[in-house]
Amino acid sequence: MIAPVVEWIAFGVFAFIAVAGALGMTTTMSMFRSGIFLMASFIGVAGLFILLLADLIALLQVMMYIGGMLVMILFMLLFMHDPGGAMMSTHMSLKGPEKWFSLGLARRQTHGKHPHGQHEGDHGGHGDDMPMQDMSMYTAIKRPAAILALLTGALLIALLVWRPHWAVVHALPDQDSPTRIGELLMGKYMIAFEGAGLMILLGIFGAVLVQRPATPPPAPDRDQLKAAIDETPPPIEDDTLEPEVLDLREDEDR
Amino acid sequence: MTPIPLTAFLIIAAILFAIGLYTILAQRTAVMVLMGIECILNAVGLNLIAFWRFTAPGDYSGQIFTIIIITVGAIEMALGLAIMMLLYRNRQTVQVDDYTELKG
Amino acid sequence: MGIVWASIATLGVLLAGGLLTWWLEPRLLKAFGSTEPGPAAPLDIRKNPRPSQADPLTYYGAPIIALFGVVWATVCLPWGPALIPADVNIGLFYFIVVVDFVVLAVALGGWGGNTPGSVEACYRIVAQLAAYVVPLGLAIIGPIMMARSLSTVHIVEAQRDAHLWYIAPQLPGFVLYLVTGLMQVYRAPFLEPFAACIDRGVLGACGGWPGVLWRLALAGLLFVVAAMGAVLFLGGYAGPWLPGWLWMLIKTLAVMVLMLWLGHRVRLRGTADMLALAWKFLIPVGLANVLLVGILILLGVGQGPFPLVGSAP
Repeated sequence: MIAPVVEWIAFGVFAFIAVAGALGMTTTMSMFRSGIFLMASFIGVAGLFILLLADLIALLQVMMYIGGMLVMILFMLLFMHDPGGAMMSTHMSLKGPEKWFSLGLARRQTHGKHPHGQHEGDHGGHGDDMPMQDMSMYTAIKRPAAILALLTGALLIALLVWRPHWAVVHALPDQDSPTRIGELLMGKYMIAFEGAGLMILLGIFGAVLVQRPATPPPAPDRDQLKAAIDETPPPIEDDTLEPEVLDLREDEDR
Repeated sequence: MTPIPLTAFLIIAAILFAIGLYTILAQRTAVMVLMGIECILNAVGLNLIAFWRFTAPGDYSGQIFTIIIITVGAIEMALGLAIMMLLYRNRQTVQVDDYTELKG
Repeated sequence: MGIVWASIATLGVLLAGGLLTWWLEPRLLKAFGSTEPGPAAPLDIRKNPRPSQADPLTYYGAPIIALFGVVWATVCLPWGPALIPADVNIGLFYFIVVVDFVVLAVALGGWGGNTPGSVEACYRIVAQLAAYVVPLGLAIIGPIMMARSLSTVHIVEAQRDAHLWYIAPQLPGFVLYLVTGLMQVYRAPFLEPFAACIDRGVLGACGGWPGVLWRLALAGLLFVVAAMGAVLFLGGYAGPWLPGWLWMLIKTLAVMVLMLWLGHRVRLRGTADMLALAWKFLIPVGLANVLLVGILILLGVGQGPFPLVGSAP
């Protein structure tokens, strides 16, 4: 179908995106970039799926994981002290892959505030005097974990390279994947299909119930809360970003 | 040139598995641990589709299995995030080093 | 078509459609008497806002990703039986996925802009994605079921062979597609990510070439979504006297005008209202639509002879 050279080049590109994305997720200082790198890794693997002639699964993977990773990033932004990575990359000296995957994050030390970490003003408590100890993203077992991961990877690759052959079949799959998958889902795997649907429903219920407060707020507070939600928010005063946010300049080369 | 062998895809999956394993063990915040789990699921999906394509391309059960795994991965991530949110609400921290009730 | 010609054709179609929409939309909005242009806000070339603390990777990469998403979406639009850059076998599913790339791009650009308005836009756009994607899938399922194929060319040919534009048996599906289409393109009444109260979101933090690319991408997005509506419900390029591509253009513009007009009749919805509308009202309507289409198929509506072009379904 496609010339083997083109296939190998495509394989190289997608494999590089997949592995570099996973590495970037692990090593970058910015949580947001972690999520984006993981998304890139999934898209790289989706490209490999297309090379393997599983186009429906590739599109499914891209669709689910773009949505999923975006939501995960939003959750991260709610809870982390430094989701943008600006504080960590400005104050820590980074080496190796961490430095390369965190390029562009360090801020100039022109003022004492840190813009990225403070954009969520109401999730405050991250005041000016952020304690500078213990900002690391890694646990204490970082070095043994890296060695373990390298050994596992090396062991797996060695097993793959020196293993006797699998029963590889050189037929091409049927090109009409939606019809075949549809027939299987509605026929042979109906229980799995319905079970997955039921599990998604239970997951939705569970997630909502798990994070709901145990008791609703008492009645007078509820009205106040509702009024507070419905009214328009006050404009942001005392915003340290204000003077230097928009660099409105006349376009010089017109 | 030869077409791409099965082993090439499996090696990429092994590398992704190792990186995911490192992420689970070495990252400090609960969300990053979840991302490491997703990376491992990614590697598993790649393995499945590679084996489907090279050993049984006529039977689409391999793709069905991958669909189910992607679905379960998404559900598990959603529930993990909900639990993490509850933990944050109770303990004001998301670092897994601080969840030490069962220790000792 | 060869790969090179197909790429050039795709870019040409998108540029033509995007520029046409960019020119046409403000005039349509003025004719409908709207006060909130949303993404169609005019671009002031002389001002060049550039946030001083932007994250360069995401801030400059975002409009490129948005434009890529819209270009890839143009690939599966048929302008004639053979005038399609690539007849993807799973065309409609592919279309939904690549329009998601625009959402990703706005989220990236919003975060990268690092101004309060653009980060707010990042959150709102993800909420809009969660709102539109399920009802859109349910609206699209109707024509897929009747034509028994995901490929856009097959759907148009099925409408031509059955002598039945799918809008007639599937009016609820068409209305659902219009509503979720408006959610997809961020025009009124669902233009929260680009509202004036947050400085137009990512558009307010960009000037110069990122601003031009953003506006081209958003105009192209409206064009592409309207064109897909014409393919699914109005019979695409099928029509008696005029050439196929002219019919397609007329139908696309008709769907676009209809979407904008209907959108501006309704007051603007906030994000919470939009999510409630999508999950509490549109999804049950979509499921009822699927049931209706199933009943119609069993009664034999729209099941003309199926000697379809290309490979068998």
